[in-house]
Amino acid sequence: MTETTSTGSRPVAVIDIGASAIRLRIAEISADGAVRNLESLHQAVRLGKDAFSTGHIQAATVEECIKVLAGFRRVMVEYGITRDDQIRAVATSALREADNRAAVLDRLYMSTQINVEVIEGAEENRLTYIAVQDVLEHEPRLKVKEAVIIDVGGGSTELLLLQEGRITYAQSYRLGALRMRETLETYRAPADRVRSILDQHIRHAVDQIRRTTPVGQVRHLIGVSGDAQFAAALLAPDWPQVRVSRLDGAAFTALAEKLVPLPVDDLVRAYRLPYQGAETIGPGLLAYAHLARAFQVNELIVPKCSLRDGLLKEMAAPGAWTQQYTEQVVHAVMSLGRKYQVDEKHAQHVAELSVRLFRELQPEHQLDRRFELLLRIAALLHEVGNFISDRSHHKHSMYIILNSELFGLAKRDLTLIALIARYHRRAMPRPYHEEFQLLDRDSRIAVLKLASILRVADALERNHMQLVRELKFSREKGQFLITVKGVGDLTLERLALREKGDLFEEVYGLKPALRAARPTREVTGDG
Amino acid sequence: MDKRSSPQFLNRELSWLEFNARVLEEATDPAVPLLERLKFLAITSSNLDEFFMVRVGGLLQLLEQGKNIFDPAGLTTRQQLLQISRRTHKLVADQYGCLLQELDVLMKGAGIERVSASQFDPSQHGHLESIFTHEIYPVITPMAVKSASEFPRLPGLGVNLIVRLTPDKPTSRRHRYALIPVPRRLNRFVSLPAKGRHTYALVEEVILAFVHRIFPGEPVLECVPFRLTRNADMVAREDQAGDLLAQMREVLDARKRSACVRLEFSDRITKTTRLFLQQTLRVPDDFVYPVPGPLDLAAFASLASLPGFEEHKYVPWMPQPIPQIRPADSMFDVLARHDVLLHHPYESFEPIERFIEQAADDPDVLAIKQILYRTSANSRIVAALARAASKGKQVTVIVELKARFDEARNIDWAQALEQAGVNVIYGLARLKVHAKICIVVRREADGVRRYVHFGTGNYNEITAGLYSDISLMTSQEDYGADATTFFNTITGYSQPVRYRKIEAAPQGLRARVLELIESEMLRSQQGQKGHIMAKLNSLVDAEVIRALYQASQAGVQIQLNVRGICCLRPGVPKLSENITVTSIVDRFLEHARILYFRHGGDALIFISSADWMPRNLDRRVELLVPVEDATSREKLTAILKTSFSDTAAARLLQPDGHYSRAAPHGTTGALRSQQVFCDRAREAAREAQKAHYQSFEPQLPARPIQ
Repeated sequence: MTETTSTGSRPVAVIDIGASAIRLRIAEISADGAVRNLESLHQAVRLGKDAFSTGHIQAATVEECIKVLAGFRRVMVEYGITRDDQIRAVATSALREADNRAAVLDRLYMSTQINVEVIEGAEENRLTYIAVQDVLEHEPRLKVKEAVIIDVGGGSTELLLLQEGRITYAQSYRLGALRMRETLETYRAPADRVRSILDQHIRHAVDQIRRTTPVGQVRHLIGVSGDAQFAAALLAPDWPQVRVSRLDGAAFTALAEKLVPLPVDDLVRAYRLPYQGAETIGPGLLAYAHLARAFQVNELIVPKCSLRDGLLKEMAAPGAWTQQYTEQVVHAVMSLGRKYQVDEKHAQHVAELSVRLFRELQPEHQLDRRFELLLRIAALLHEVGNFISDRSHHKHSMYIILNSELFGLAKRDLTLIALIARYHRRAMPRPYHEEFQLLDRDSRIAVLKLASILRVADALERNHMQLVRELKFSREKGQFLITVKGVGDLTLERLALREKGDLFEEVYGLKPALRAARPTREVTGDG
Repeated sequence: MDKRSSPQFLNRELSWLEFNARVLEEATDPAVPLLERLKFLAITSSNLDEFFMVRVGGLLQLLEQGKNIFDPAGLTTRQQLLQISRRTHKLVADQYGCLLQELDVLMKGAGIERVSASQFDPSQHGHLESIFTHEIYPVITPMAVKSASEFPRLPGLGVNLIVRLTPDKPTSRRHRYALIPVPRRLNRFVSLPAKGRHTYALVEEVILAFVHRIFPGEPVLECVPFRLTRNADMVAREDQAGDLLAQMREVLDARKRSACVRLEFSDRITKTTRLFLQQTLRVPDDFVYPVPGPLDLAAFASLASLPGFEEHKYVPWMPQPIPQIRPADSMFDVLARHDVLLHHPYESFEPIERFIEQAADDPDVLAIKQILYRTSANSRIVAALARAASKGKQVTVIVELKARFDEARNIDWAQALEQAGVNVIYGLARLKVHAKICIVVRREADGVRRYVHFGTGNYNEITAGLYSDISLMTSQEDYGADATTFFNTITGYSQPVRYRKIEAAPQGLRARVLELIESEMLRSQQGQKGHIMAKLNSLVDAEVIRALYQASQAGVQIQLNVRGICCLRPGVPKLSENITVTSIVDRFLEHARILYFRHGGDALIFISSADWMPRNLDRRVELLVPVEDATSREKLTAILKTSFSDTAAARLLQPDGHYSRAAPHGTTGALRSQQVFCDRAREAAREAQKAHYQSFEPQLPARPIQ
């Protein structure tokens, strides 16, 4: 009885299970992708308190979550939201860190039929960016091209570096307002020392953030968190009417200084905060004050958006976002490559060739578009290992990638990319290659399918001159024939292909061969 | 602040008693039809019953707990009890003066006559004997009282007879007593055969006449009616985990057993029996009321609505349809076009019933959410909600079980709704839900749309015809979002979040009201004109009153129309000289809460479910709803202005706490605001009818009001 309306506007729900609260947003997505918020609900939970103190979610806390979600479910049903494709539920740092997260997720699903997905810092970062970008795009007055976007949450801090309007760096830090509060409680910090311990802790974390963020100077600091929005509501008179506010750094710092020493009960009474908000507001704002000082900015930009807006935006236009998102990811990857001084032209060219091959081989590999992106990134980064040493640079590439944080890419994606790069030369997977063997079978096969393409592409770009450009493909007598136009001498490439084409043949059952597109002399690559 | 030396506030209990005295004035007013006067008398009596159970009971409990504390008016608990007793004795004397010297005489002339046991003529005696034998005797249960400690646990408010019998042994001097509780299911008024007249005897008088039949062979030395009132100020113990429904049942049981706070008996009682009762029930002299006439005057309400005798009743008022809503209209279409503001009972409550019924039957409606506080038993609304649930719509109803004295009734229909598949939520722990709101979520071509009804009165078809209230209906996005947010907080699905337009108690309503008063004060200090108009049922809250005093001192003109309790002392130089307080007691019970703040000329106008009392602002879930639609704002402003220009039914509160009529009673050309509202509503309906008389639309049968 509750199908999508004939006009195509559909009700959806997003749920965000955070460290101190579970939040629900019900919205309606119209046919043109516009999102209209219908309801916002939130309920306090102790997930963060459990996770950040014992690393374990207690049974009572799980029951609490079930009760909250059951209530949410009821409200969702009122809008006809019952199917899985109408609901996206994600959990962040608290569940991410809980040692019993799998059991908790199962329990939640069994009791509420809500499938909760634990997202990593990188994914959280990506969703937050979608939300922030949406606000910034609609605010032409705010021509923010260079900024750090920072979300100081309950358990973690997500940072994005925006340069020239593109994401160049993303990182997740274990700095969290609730985590700090829990640490203080665990060590039973005496009241008069709370402030100095907090300062110390925050300064330490902020120093690390400042040091690792690869930028000399930022123009803007964008604060994305409930605490930042609370400050905006107090400091910006026009907050109810605007989508984004600019808060004066000094006023902001003064507010943080004023709130930090106040007992939770006073905050609840004086500022009409919910208790869970009152617990984090002090450390949360103090962190921003320190960050502003560290990045030497004198104002804080607070957009009215959250992770939930990102989730909704993505539900509203999954396709449209993919294009943009891909560009952002690729841009961040290029920044990383530059950091390790890769031959950018070569990397780009190998990437282009890889993508062409990937698309051509679609009937054979049957992998979706996401893998095309992974391959492209692996191609862009396959030689980062050279930064350390040319010898075994494929191995260096692997661990550089594995230990980097890339905007929009989850750990699992990074592992695949690292392995594709790992196998871009001649080495074949071995039983003692731990990272490879730990993958599930589908992923192992995907790595092989993609690495074999990368090897062929790399062979075609053997001389680092970007000569091989115009290609045609055909499949003949067990051969995958690549016809190259406009290049006279393909000797070097053919040689390389002979060295690196073995994996391709093994995976696709086709022997890759090169042919120059010259009507006069026809040379068949015989491997 | 030293509360003892604060003469700034009037005592709330005494102020309430003054209100009840104003209601009694209606009973003594020759301009009011006879049976309506009787009804007003009955109301004062049932008001007093509640007052004793709740307020006096509460004060006595305070004393028992050793808390003889000062109230804001500077009176100790004991002083309050003493003054209450004095004022109430006077009030009761006036009640009986009114009944025995005026109404009884006039009614006899009108053909309604009470005959007492000593006056039965032989044919009446015969008739009553038959009734006693067949209808009364089988259902009464006399109880012997052997000693004071064995006095049976009589429920409060019922009429009983105490019978004094001779001692067991001739040597003993101890009298024996027996009790006869008059069963509630017996009709209090026993009709006697009479031609074209209504002659009746009270059931306790009938028992009294035949009491020897109950104690055969024993000389009955005395038989007197008495009535006791028990403390009812008991709240469910919500600190303990458990089922609220079960707890409410406990409260109802406890109410049967709690301490006696008032003892009434016929003044024919002998000293011996009086002492026996008083000592046994441990009632101090101050709370004993010997009365010269029938007990429980509240019961006379049923006599007042006796069929026939129409010339002695108000001409029935027919709530009028409003021009913007035609009988065949879909409420969704109407509200999609514009907001609707209704002034009941002048304007019909039918659009609200129609709204909920149409929601129940509309295939596009997804959900209905409503708060039901005091509703009527056979409510069209309750039926519609059950129907909606059975049609698969998501229906959530918050039932406030803590609606005082309505608990038993609420439990029944709440369970019926539950059986129909409605998600019934039994109130909130610690907070009484007093807001009146109904939300309909409807799927439409351009997306989900929410329709909201906000009210100042309950969803009760009966009281909607007797109480003056405001309804605001809207489909505007902000109200819909706020309404659902509000609902999510009271259902416990979400914690409070900020609202776009409305304010709710106990979170932000008090702060908002204070802020509005303060802002008017600041404007006045800066040379702007400051003006506040407020229509309320009660004004008790000390913080709000202080804010009003300060505003007055800053030059803000403050007009208050407070029907009942008002602890603010108006017109005191240097304190409240710019404040006037009027109270209207008339045919319809004034019940709407409307607020107006001049706000520099761009007035802020609100309707609200909340009185300005600490309990409403701090311990209840209440709403404050701004009205932004131009037509509705004009209408509300006009209602306020008309109320303040009332010179017929309005009384002006004096600085000393007394009330005097705005104009000498019976002044010709005096303005009676309720009459004005009736005339306006009728005129508007007539104009509308004239305007589209060619459309041949049938008028829905409206329900006349007594």
